[in-house]
Amino acid sequence: MKPFFKLISMLLLLPAAVFFSSHARARDALSKDQPVLVEAVMCEAIEKFKPVNQAVVFSISLGRVFCFTGFDPVPEETTVYHRWYRQDRLISTAKLVLHPPKWASFSSMQLREADKGPWRVEIVDSQEKLMKTLRFSISD
Amino acid sequence: MGQFFYQFFGIGWQGFFDIALNSYILFRLYVLFRGTNVLRVLFAMGIFWVLRQVAVSMGLVVTSWAMQGVIAVAALVIIIVFRNEISSVLQTRDLKSFFWGIPQYQRNTPVHIIVEGVYELAKKKIGALIVLPLNQGVESFVQKGITWQGKLSKEMLVSIFWDDNPVHDGAAVIQGDRVTNVGVILPLSKRTDLPSYFGTRHRAAVGLSEHTDSLVIVVSEERGKITLVKDGQIYDINDRRAFEKLLITHAGQDTAAAGIKKHTRELAVAAAVCLVCVTGLWLSFSRGMETLATHTIPVEFIKSDQNMEIFSSSASNVTLLLSGARPLIRSLGPDRITVKLSLANTVPGTNKLSVSRSAVTLPPGIVLKSLDPSMIEVTVDVPVKKELPVQPFWTGQLSQDLIMTRAATTPEKAHVIGPRQVLTQMETLFTEALSLEEITTSGRISARIVLHPVTIRLEDPKKNRVQVEYTTRKRETVLP
Repeated sequence: MKPFFKLISMLLLLPAAVFFSSHARARDALSKDQPVLVEAVMCEAIEKFKPVNQAVVFSISLGRVFCFTGFDPVPEETTVYHRWYRQDRLISTAKLVLHPPKWASFSSMQLREADKGPWRVEIVDSQEKLMKTLRFSISD
Repeated sequence: MGQFFYQFFGIGWQGFFDIALNSYILFRLYVLFRGTNVLRVLFAMGIFWVLRQVAVSMGLVVTSWAMQGVIAVAALVIIIVFRNEISSVLQTRDLKSFFWGIPQYQRNTPVHIIVEGVYELAKKKIGALIVLPLNQGVESFVQKGITWQGKLSKEMLVSIFWDDNPVHDGAAVIQGDRVTNVGVILPLSKRTDLPSYFGTRHRAAVGLSEHTDSLVIVVSEERGKITLVKDGQIYDINDRRAFEKLLITHAGQDTAAAGIKKHTRELAVAAAVCLVCVTGLWLSFSRGMETLATHTIPVEFIKSDQNMEIFSSSASNVTLLLSGARPLIRSLGPDRITVKLSLANTVPGTNKLSVSRSAVTLPPGIVLKSLDPSMIEVTVDVPVKKELPVQPFWTGQLSQDLIMTRAATTPEKAHVIGPRQVLTQMETLFTEALSLEEITTSGRISARIVLHPVTIRLEDPKKNRVQVEYTTRKRETVLP
């Protein structure tokens, strides 16, 4: 390739390279600020900050059901939300504060007779970005 | 064709045919019995029938009952008293003249033949009695004699009244150019002012002329004199031309053109009256026999925005209670009734549409009494497609020593189409209810996807099932 064409090509590619590198930096900065979800389970209880009897079907007789989430790393103090839906109806939102460097937190739902049926919990970060959806059922 | 009749006359083709047929029958009865007393009695019966209808409508029970009795008696009277006229109408005419022909009476009578024949009879002093009926029939007043139906000629006239002829004693009846009957016995007059030289033949002539508009010619056997009797008046004929003129006047040939015009006008008026009467009768009967019928008609929704789609409606049919004449109701098919609802003023979502009477199109003559439902809820929206995850819908109770750790569907998601408003809020599709009672170990079951609300549908209706794969384990930790 002739030097002239090399120069032209470099001049043309330079702005694109600058744009993509800055974009990647911004994305890295954003993701670095956000906690990383490493564990998300529905369980019957929490003991010693650990989920007990992870399941997708829970008896109403349990009286309560838990959503356990673990984050590692947590770059900075931030919040996540557990949104509890019975079928497609929003029942409750739990706001959880996460602290660096890593954090585990949970929310729970008191069960009533009328709560039988399919549920889901959406785990959403502070930017309203959906991190994970956990689906489970409340049975007899 | 039927629609044409409905559009222009408000009645079905059956009604039109019914009226036309009966109008023609009535007109034929008028034509055949014209001039006879049968028609007068029929007319009187018609008046009594109208009076009865009025009495019924006014609630006059006894009057209506009496009128009904009079009508029944009059019907018997017609059959018994006018049996001769009826039988002559039914027997003497050929089928063509019975169904189609118009009797011309004396209009085509060859007067000169009669004049010559009568003068020949007078010259030979052969007694003769000749009847020329006009508009009124003579059947009620005479004994019919012998049917002749011979073409009129001078020689025939002479031969009929020839002394040796077995039928020479009675009268001969001439209608048109034919001698229709001979040996006819006429009623005798009871008048006391008749000349003493008048014999039975003259009295018979006067007697018939008193009851009918016939012209009767008498030829005296003793004197060879010609006498003409009409409307009870007696004319002695001495002048051949005067005799001929009297005959022409009677036959109406002096004013032939005017006569034909008058005759045509009379028939036209009669036809019109028959038509009006039968139409009135038909309407009276049909309205009187008003019946009710129920039809369930599918609703047609008229879209104004082609992008909009109807996702559901609370009713797809409307039940109509209709009333109308029995023939109209009977011939009424659901294909001739429409119920159209416009979606022009609807908005995305559920709309309440009033089913007004103007939305219902009915054939003429049919009246809408009521409709149900009067309100229809219609869900309209712009259809959108969305991919939704499918979640198992567990019911019952899982064995207490088991924990279900995983449940996944294959495929995980399904494409649905539905109203934008509905799908915006929907995030999950659920399977039909799956029982936990039978589960003892991990496994897989097939489940149908439940589409709720009904306004949504699967993009591919055949893919309405998913496989649910579940994993269980024995419970190790029993919670207090």
